[in-house]
Amino acid sequence: MKKNKKISIVNLVICCLFTFNQLLAQNNEHLIADSVTNDRINTLEKNVNYQKSGDDHILIVGLATFGFVNSRSKNSLNGNTTNIKSNSIGDPDHFEFSPMLLWRHGNKFLMEFEPSFSDNGLGVNWADASYFIIPNLTIKAGYFGLPYGTYSKRLAAGWINKLATDPMGVADFPTTDYGVELSGGLPLGSMKINYDVALSNGLQLMPDGSLISGNLQDNNRNKTVTARFGWLPLSTSSLELGASTMFGKVGTTGNSDENVKGNMYAYDLNYINTFNPFLINIKSQYNIMDISQASFISPIDSISQYSFSNHSTAGFVQFSIRPTGIKSLHDIELAARYTNYKTPINSTWGSNQQTVTVGLNYWLSWRAVAKVSYEIYKGNSTSSIPLNSFTGISNTNTFYIQFAIQL
Amino acid sequence: MKFNSTKIILSLVAILTSSLLLTLNSCAPTKDIAAKSGVLLWSENCQRCHNTPSPSAFSAESWETIGMHMQTRALLTTEEKDKIVNFLKSSK
Repeated sequence: MKKNKKISIVNLVICCLFTFNQLLAQNNEHLIADSVTNDRINTLEKNVNYQKSGDDHILIVGLATFGFVNSRSKNSLNGNTTNIKSNSIGDPDHFEFSPMLLWRHGNKFLMEFEPSFSDNGLGVNWADASYFIIPNLTIKAGYFGLPYGTYSKRLAAGWINKLATDPMGVADFPTTDYGVELSGGLPLGSMKINYDVALSNGLQLMPDGSLISGNLQDNNRNKTVTARFGWLPLSTSSLELGASTMFGKVGTTGNSDENVKGNMYAYDLNYINTFNPFLINIKSQYNIMDISQASFISPIDSISQYSFSNHSTAGFVQFSIRPTGIKSLHDIELAARYTNYKTPINSTWGSNQQTVTVGLNYWLSWRAVAKVSYEIYKGNSTSSIPLNSFTGISNTNTFYIQFAIQL
Repeated sequence: MKFNSTKIILSLVAILTSSLLLTLNSCAPTKDIAAKSGVLLWSENCQRCHNTPSPSAFSAESWETIGMHMQTRALLTTEEKDKIVNFLKSSK
């Protein structure tokens, strides 16, 4: 009996030693495992730190528009009728290759620079720097698109524009300038508003009464104010109504036209909504430009002077429809636009022009489109006959094939 | 007392700027608008000008930069921009 008791004690001790040994071994395994995990975590952290972005970020994006154009014109000018046919690869009016550099510093500073190669050679679309002061308030300075309507600033890029051409008068109106700008968007209950106010060197009056902008050196001490107010009354942001104004002196200090002022207004509309299975989009803008009375040197004798009412209007309405709810057709889009552009009667550049443009687009991706457009143009000269300006009618029908992409 | 036009314009600019700054922080969205998700804002706002972009088109860091660029173009509110960018970054 005593012997059995001894054997039990020995067995118990052996069991305890064995268990202790096992526990020790497991603990060592845990220590080894923890050490491996720690090493892996340290390596991963190191890799993450290597990959971690800094405050600065530079991004190059951009756009390209390329196409083919075939036109047929019939002009009856000063009693002479001519027929002209032409075609070009790389539509001269709309060819564009524009890389864009975006340079962000943290979430407060942004620099935008877009050089552009087009039929006009190498130019710059904009070069500016923005500072995001507080939520919903940004200040921008440099060379940028003025907030006059929305077409030039938001819709003119080839991959955004639903037709191969731009609306006359609206797209041509000079709205890029050197200055400073305050802008932002604000919630207002279930609606939204946005504002965009710029102070810039302003437009300059040319010897024929037309205007140019984008001059680094101002021609007078007066600065031009351009402001747009946008209102999105629907909670879905599907409708935006905008009103813009631009006013300031356009005459040159020291010249007889130094007190000539420009007062301009623009109204714009953008509506987009899905009526299953169709996505409907209506865009419109109407510009009114009034320049105060001035006298200009006659091009006939370079001595006498002439004057005219310097009033121009330009506007367009565009409609597009895309069957986004029909799988086999959802990459197709149909678009149509009517444009009217009137320049001052009895100037040397007076005219009443209209275009009707229709187009069929195929979207290769969300940012690449192949367009086929057909435009009917009719222009009637209202220029001054005593100034020997061209008078008559011009009709042009143009067929476009265009490819546009944003990268 | 004589005022010249420059002083009047500068005074008006100062008053308007002060009013604007005060207004900026007093506007508020309704609860429904404030509760809108990034994906909803992405689908509503981008198509106002162009097709809605694919989240996979750019890296997360690039979306931050593009978000700032688009805020100055489309005049999105800062909250909208942040939600849209966060959605695009998380859906890659």
